Amino acid sequence: MIASGRKRARSAALAVLAALAIAFSGCGDLSNDELNRGVESLSALAAQGELVANGVARDATKTTYARAMARTLSEQAEHEAEKLADATLEEPETDDQRHAAVAVAEEIAGLLSTLQTFPGDEHHAELVEKHLGEAGEKADAIVAQLSGDAP
Amino acid sequence: MKAILKIALGIIAAIGGFLDIGDLVFTTQAGALFRYDLLWAVVLGVIGIAVYAEMSGRVAAVSGRPVFDVIRMRMGFGMGLLALVASTIVNVLTLAAELGGIAIVLELLFDAPYAMFVVAAAIALVGIVALLPFGGIERFFGYGGLLLFVVVATVFHQNPDWGEVGRGFIPSIDSSTLYLYFVVGVFAAALMPYEVHFYSSGAIEEGWTEENLKENRLNAIIGYGIGGILAVGLVIVSGFLFHPLGVEPDNLGTVALPMQGAFGETGLLLALGGMLFCVGGAAIDSSFAASYNLAQFLGWEWGRYQGPRKAPRFTASWLVFLLLGIAIAQSGINPVDITEYSVVLAVVALPLTYLPVLLIAGDRSFMDRYANGPIATTLGWLYFAVIVVLALAAIPLLLATNAGGG
Repeated sequence: MIASGRKRARSAALAVLAALAIAFSGCGDLSNDELNRGVESLSALAAQGELVANGVARDATKTTYARAMARTLSEQAEHEAEKLADATLEEPETDDQRHAAVAVAEEIAGLLSTLQTFPGDEHHAELVEKHLGEAGEKADAIVAQLSGDAP
Repeated sequence: MKAILKIALGIIAAIGGFLDIGDLVFTTQAGALFRYDLLWAVVLGVIGIAVYAEMSGRVAAVSGRPVFDVIRMRMGFGMGLLALVASTIVNVLTLAAELGGIAIVLELLFDAPYAMFVVAAAIALVGIVALLPFGGIERFFGYGGLLLFVVVATVFHQNPDWGEVGRGFIPSIDSSTLYLYFVVGVFAAALMPYEVHFYSSGAIEEGWTEENLKENRLNAIIGYGIGGILAVGLVIVSGFLFHPLGVEPDNLGTVALPMQGAFGETGLLLALGGMLFCVGGAAIDSSFAASYNLAQFLGWEWGRYQGPRKAPRFTASWLVFLLLGIAIAQSGINPVDITEYSVVLAVVALPLTYLPVLLIAGDRSFMDRYANGPIATTLGWLYFAVIVVLALAAIPLLLATNAGGG
């Protein structure tokens, strides 16, 4: 009686652990909504990076701040690229958009890395700001395709 | 004249000490996501903390009992223990988030490894607590926090559509779970339980009596009220700059970007400096609150004024809580994420903190002529009803919105 109770308790504990493992592993299929949110976050990262780069371009910031912010944002973009690249899509027909989004994420991460390397260089910052703006537009275009709003 | 100056200094310290990492994060994110629509929730939270801080300060001044003593006395051992466990978890998480916040700001200012700055921040806090008297600690962080008035200057520099800003102060309910999550977050960030635990214990530390009731009222109403202007300012500058660009401010450094946009490097440095003092002050408040609660619940000698020799277990527990905070901050979890969880979990602990304060402050047999009048009673119960509703909604909203991640 006690042994079967323990067995049940152990099974229940294992089931809970398995559920938690699945919940926290980040695995599982990526829905269209999740893909959309991932690409939107790229657009947000690009916009934030533009503001930081603009501060450098105007010589209106502190280099330590620009470097630390660029590093953080670059790591976030890199993480987003990995997440999108690793995910299995719930709707396989959106694979092209997923690949495009990974490319945009890598582009944003690369641009922010450049800003991290040259946080006091106004010329580099101007270029980074411009290219981040373009990367953000690409991300917005992917979002429009995913939500069926693209022309 | 001396008394007026003392009151003025207390109010100024309360203004600068109002904001913590939770306010910085939730108000900035609220502005970025919903522009000015959540300004009313900020005001609601500020009035709430002023109402309950005034009550807890009055109870402490009249009875010589801080909030946790009151909780134990009014709710008994079992409920008191539950409140102690819940508030300790929230206080330690908050402390970890504040230590992480200090480290992030130092990283932005000096570009050295985050982990090193967490330890440096904790050592600096120990040094400040060891060297300064209680009132000095409050004023050091409170006055430094005034640097954040650059946020108000940024609002006027941006010159937003004032009509739209004004409409944000009119309560509106959006059915989206994300909006409701931010209503809870913005409100709870203003009413974090550690604030009244620290405020009432601080009143005992400073030897308040009935003579200090005017000072208590002015600190609570004017100090928190004007401090709330900083929170309102953060929503406006974020809504003005981030909302149209679709920026999602999930880094503490992002909070300073509008001030950099308006005033260049000077604006950035003022914002980062103000954030450093606000977050540092909140680290002191939350760590002290954790130790105050434990010591008051267990009947230990407590208080900064007693010193380590007269209150050794209180001092030791403070150091242990600080070490726990360092361990969590060093775990690699983003302090902003810790903040979001601690703020939302705090909502669940709010009724356990505020109900005993409300009951005891209204009890004429205990408070005599200093018991709550009709305005304090009405506001207190209204706010308690809001707190209960939000406490019930907090966890489901946290899960439904993936902690605000949508």
